[in-house]
Amino acid sequence: MSSPDVHELTLKPITAHSFNGDRTKLAVCPNDTNVDIYNTSSSNWTVEATLKDHDKIVTGIDIAPNSNRIVTCSQDRNAYVWTQENGVWKPALVLLRINRAATFVRWSPNEDKFAVASGARAISVCYFDEDNDWWGSKHIKKPIRSTVLSIDWHPNNVLLASGSADMKARVFSAFIKGVDKKPTPTVWGDKLPFNTVCGEFQSGRGGWVHTVAFSPSGDVLAFAGHDSCINVAYPNADGNPTVITVATPSLPYLSLFWANEHQIVAAGHDCAPVLFETSNNQDWHYTGSLDENKKKVSTATSVLSRFKTMDSRGSSDNDTDLNTIHQNTILEMRPYAGTRDNVTQFSTAGVDGKIVVWDFDPSRVVKDMSALRL
Amino acid sequence: MAFRRIDIDQYDEDIYTEEEILIDAESGRSAQEIESLVDARATDVRNLLTRGNINDALTKSLEDPPYGRQLENAKAKNIKTVIDVLNQFRSTDIPTAIKGLDVVQQDVLMKYLYAALSKPEQFNSGMLLSWHEKLTEVAGTGSIVRVMTDKRTVF
Repeated sequence: MSSPDVHELTLKPITAHSFNGDRTKLAVCPNDTNVDIYNTSSSNWTVEATLKDHDKIVTGIDIAPNSNRIVTCSQDRNAYVWTQENGVWKPALVLLRINRAATFVRWSPNEDKFAVASGARAISVCYFDEDNDWWGSKHIKKPIRSTVLSIDWHPNNVLLASGSADMKARVFSAFIKGVDKKPTPTVWGDKLPFNTVCGEFQSGRGGWVHTVAFSPSGDVLAFAGHDSCINVAYPNADGNPTVITVATPSLPYLSLFWANEHQIVAAGHDCAPVLFETSNNQDWHYTGSLDENKKKVSTATSVLSRFKTMDSRGSSDNDTDLNTIHQNTILEMRPYAGTRDNVTQFSTAGVDGKIVVWDFDPSRVVKDMSALRL
Repeated sequence: MAFRRIDIDQYDEDIYTEEEILIDAESGRSAQEIESLVDARATDVRNLLTRGNINDALTKSLEDPPYGRQLENAKAKNIKTVIDVLNQFRSTDIPTAIKGLDVVQQDVLMKYLYAALSKPEQFNSGMLLSWHEKLTEVAGTGSIVRVMTDKRTVF
């Protein structure tokens, strides 16, 4: 597979995407009420199933890598857990009990719970209720003041990070009695009943927090907001966390992940994934773009056609394409291959309808910012 | 026409208000205290300017800007202090002056440029735009986005 591996699936924005465990299937939402399942085992990706139970735009998709269940959530305030029976995907309703759109969903690492973020200023932590044979939920409400835009699970299956439109990133306990065993103490605390607030961070520069991510060890939290900054928060035992903020010269980031304990990849409105690095956990800095920004070789146009465009448009050059591979905002970015503490490949989905699978290769970083511009 | 004509948020007793956001941005100092700090800084800046030390005057003027509500006087005075310094620069000296600022100072300067541009009757927009052009080259679009998102406004 050549890197980056570009697949133009649709002309519409891709609001969410998720690969299955062995990367042979891909679920995407092309900005409508359906979820298309692609077969990605050959180089030509084809739709093999469509999940059609939502009646508003689907905002989040996550496939559990081991149990192969798909969870989807939508602006219609519902979430479904889809299981494949005899080749057909069957939905199971989830009792989210929210009165606003659901915005984001992720399975927990053990795949026995999932969390749905919503505009109802709440996170629904969902678990399977054996007695009633449905997915029930418990709400994390306090102290969220606005729409929750993203969530990320701690590797211990109990802690949950959230980023919300009240400009704060938070770490909660999502401990469910009967599902979870008592967790071992972490840097975030040792007593963890449900809805314990283990940390609350902000960059101070305002802006919705679009994305949050725990580091591979789970001891550090990174978040990015609409202020074009990347923030890395280190919790302290005395309750005063250290938050390192890197102000960047580019447009805001909508998605980020940790490639390993000292490298973060972020992407968003600038259409290219960019790399942030540290050597000692204090000097976080912007390193460069992972998109090579190759200037396209201009196709040799005839003199006649050049005069024609000069006459009709007033310029000889009508190239409006960006130098980046994605031609519009990158909405979601997820690790594709490698382990949690050493990601080797990742995938991006954008408003331009492309899914791109990239090799994570820091040696090919483009440091020159000017190459990013039009 | 909007889909819904009733403001449903008024029935929400737990609504997230603008007030709540702005309180977060306040320093906890009184308006008089901040105003006297602004006055003192204006004097310092003027002294630096009379000694011809315009780069130091610029960094001094961008220190500790007054943020928060009910500070109209202090904010108006501080904008004037900053813009008076900017006026002293020849256009060829602007790029070096900007390179001497750190990222935080560049963001504060961007805030003041936008604040001043919103009052074209009071400040010379041509001069402000040439600063804006040079500053964007260094600080990028990120700095402009931060002016828009930051609730700690300077006017």
